[in-house]
Amino acid sequence: MIGPRAIHTSPKTVIITVLMLSFLLGLAGCVRESDITLEQRSHQLGGELMCPVCDGQTIDGSNAQIAVDMRLKVRDLLDEGLTNADVRDYFVLRYGQEILAAPERSGFNMLAWIIPVLIVTGGIGIALLSIKNMRKSGLKAQASGGLSIAVEQEQEDLTHYLTQVDRDLGISSFTNLRVDSDNESDELDDSRETKTPEKTIS
Amino acid sequence: MADMGVMALLLGLALSAYCAIGVIIGEKIGRAELVVSARRALYMTTVAAAVASGALINAFVQNDFSIAYVADHSNTLMDRAFVWVAFYAGNEGSLLYILLTLCVISAISVWFAPKRLARSMPWTIAILAIIQLFYFGVLAFAASPFELLETVPGDGRGINPLLTHPGMFSHPPLLMGGLIAITIPFAFVSGALIAGNYGDDWVDVARVSAIIGWGVLGTGMLLGAWWAYTILGWGGYWAWDPIENVALMPWLVMTAFLHSIMVQKRRGMFRMWNVALLNIAFVLAQLGMFINRGGPVVSVHSFAASTLGAIFLSFMLASLVFAFALFLWRMPQLKSDRAMESFVSREASFLINNFLFLAVMVVTLWGVLFPLFSDLARDVSVSVSAPYFDRVNGPVLLGIVVMMGVGPLLPWRKASARSMKQWLVWPTVFGLVTIGVLIALGVQRPVAIFAFGVVAFVATSIGEEWWRGTIARHRSGDNWALAWWRLVNGNRPRHGGYIVHISILMLGLGIIGTNFYQQRTDGALALGESLVLDNYRIEYVDNGDSSRPDRIAQWAEMSVYEIDPKDYKQEISFAKAQGSSGFILKDNTLRPNDELIDTIKPWHGFYIDFNMASVRSGIRSTVVEDLYVIPRDFLADGRVSLAVSINPLAWWLWASGPFFILGTMVALWPQPAVEKRPTRKRLKREPEGDI
Repeated sequence: MIGPRAIHTSPKTVIITVLMLSFLLGLAGCVRESDITLEQRSHQLGGELMCPVCDGQTIDGSNAQIAVDMRLKVRDLLDEGLTNADVRDYFVLRYGQEILAAPERSGFNMLAWIIPVLIVTGGIGIALLSIKNMRKSGLKAQASGGLSIAVEQEQEDLTHYLTQVDRDLGISSFTNLRVDSDNESDELDDSRETKTPEKTIS
Repeated sequence: MADMGVMALLLGLALSAYCAIGVIIGEKIGRAELVVSARRALYMTTVAAAVASGALINAFVQNDFSIAYVADHSNTLMDRAFVWVAFYAGNEGSLLYILLTLCVISAISVWFAPKRLARSMPWTIAILAIIQLFYFGVLAFAASPFELLETVPGDGRGINPLLTHPGMFSHPPLLMGGLIAITIPFAFVSGALIAGNYGDDWVDVARVSAIIGWGVLGTGMLLGAWWAYTILGWGGYWAWDPIENVALMPWLVMTAFLHSIMVQKRRGMFRMWNVALLNIAFVLAQLGMFINRGGPVVSVHSFAASTLGAIFLSFMLASLVFAFALFLWRMPQLKSDRAMESFVSREASFLINNFLFLAVMVVTLWGVLFPLFSDLARDVSVSVSAPYFDRVNGPVLLGIVVMMGVGPLLPWRKASARSMKQWLVWPTVFGLVTIGVLIALGVQRPVAIFAFGVVAFVATSIGEEWWRGTIARHRSGDNWALAWWRLVNGNRPRHGGYIVHISILMLGLGIIGTNFYQQRTDGALALGESLVLDNYRIEYVDNGDSSRPDRIAQWAEMSVYEIDPKDYKQEISFAKAQGSSGFILKDNTLRPNDELIDTIKPWHGFYIDFNMASVRSGIRSTVVEDLYVIPRDFLADGRVSLAVSINPLAWWLWASGPFFILGTMVALWPQPAVEKRPTRKRLKREPEGDI
């Protein structure tokens, strides 16, 4: 009955791991602008500016005349030594904010960027919280001699027995393998690994 | 023909109305024969829809231009094979196609529905009939494809030139079919809830029908991407366009559902959650219909734009209210049998994966709606397009891929530290080695390097599991191939899932390669001139005219050479100084190491009636990278203006398709009876006491 130690992971550790990972990802996101040629920059900018006469296409992807002209203009501006932000401003001044393929990160448009962050962190938060709650309710039920765990225990014994029967009858020749733990026989495997859940949950 | 079509639609309308009313009344007053007759009416709606579709297709075949829809979407010049495409090329026809699909899959799923669902079937049938009723109604009164023209034109306008591509035989039907197919699992689950059938009887049928719809929708999206890549000349394959997004959103939710339904199947948990996911997916599919048919957002896919927006918006809101009212009403009965035991278990990882999928969906929805919101809130128009979605969804999608490597390794209930360590060692090692090797090779872009590491991590985790499973079976006497086959066969849902995961990894490789390492250059070439980009030299050697009465079209023939950059040192440094990625060579003398590797024939056509250009890109594809040449225009001075790019790993995007389909089929294939072990299942169900 001595199974390997179960991992004790508190929500805090999980949250810290997630935060660290997202920080690393953020760091990795910093790409230097200087490495790339002017032409690459102009293509990149072309992908950030909408074509004013085409539905939902950027000037980089469109064959419309105005898109061609705008691409040339972008390149001219870059040749003059403007930064990407300057070029964007140049077009915003003439066409309004609609010309940008992604809203600016300032003012009201900040909402467009903040809300996704809230959604993702909120989503993960809710997921972790609900796992925690589902665990707690399970523990409570167990403490008060709740049905679900008892039923489970009974089923597990049954599973053992039935798998044994299967094995003896040679119905399924591979139930004794550890791998492929998701097979119909995996409850056996799992229970073998983490016997006595009462002791490992804390 | 038109009369027959209209009559068929009206008949279908009457039949679906009778079916819906009959089945509900029959069920309420306990008249079995009424329910049976209503069920038969549901089969007959299929006939009505088929007759209407047949009438429309026949009108196309016969060039019956007295019908407005036919005159608008075909002409006598159209290749006859495209009759099928013309059928769904516009708003009315595509609605008819959707209705036909809905009727056929409704009939099939009602016919094959398992006996144990008998109690809830009347309600399932009622829901299907009401949805059919809606479409019959729209087609009969608001968007009839059989509208007649007062004066019959001599020839039609012709099919939308963007649709004359082999991909169009399958992309639109699969996409529309996949979206409407979400109706089936939704109807089964809602029917079960109304009937008070709270057990897990519906799990298998919902899972199977959901996988079918999901697989069809996914394949449809991939084909659409392929079509965009080869024909549209956008230079891309996925633009986060609103219409693309509304197909992606239900697909994401269905993906979440396919994972969490396994938890319900195996552990009796997440019942509420699964119902909610199906409801969300169904409502999102209706949102897709709405945005597609005259929604308030601009899109490049305006093939079916119409004035039906209000009707579809109302239907979407009605389905939203219905689905969630039903959900709230029955929620107390949808408790889980078991509790979650650990944060480190497959249940928990599936729940986190579900929330990540939902997060991508909600963020995408937010991006789609933000321009509207901005318009309403402060009267300023903004655009939300690819750069936004790449930035906000990219990291979460990468997170989902990480979960794809970890989740399947975790056992149900609870993982032990030892087994986790044992299983995670190799994937982690391979992931880190990949990152190290890429850095050592001087590869740029840290995000992409990290993403490649993640792909290696997940690939190793799948490979490890297959390796261990195969080796164990091999030891017990099977040869390697048979051992692997037995492993996969032993649990098809799981291993089919792995195959799909592999296809997602391949897709990931393509996405990372094309997004982070694409090289681009533009230039106009006269005959005999060449354009050099990286180690390709593209020489413009020939051109020709392939115009037809409806279009002005030209093709260009180009020889592709692989070059040694050493031969071009001078030009390269000159181009660099000018800030260009590529350069043009005026003379056509070859350098010593130039090697002819391919000939491509990009094509550019302009359709006069549509005032629309359509192109075929010239693509030389290899496993490593695509050389991709878009002919932007044939200029008046005889030059051809080109957008040339090198798209690393683009081949993998399309190679993922067959694996995606294969994995879906494997996961769907029914388990042989022996392995199902029905005795055990029955014993397991008894304690639930909800049958």
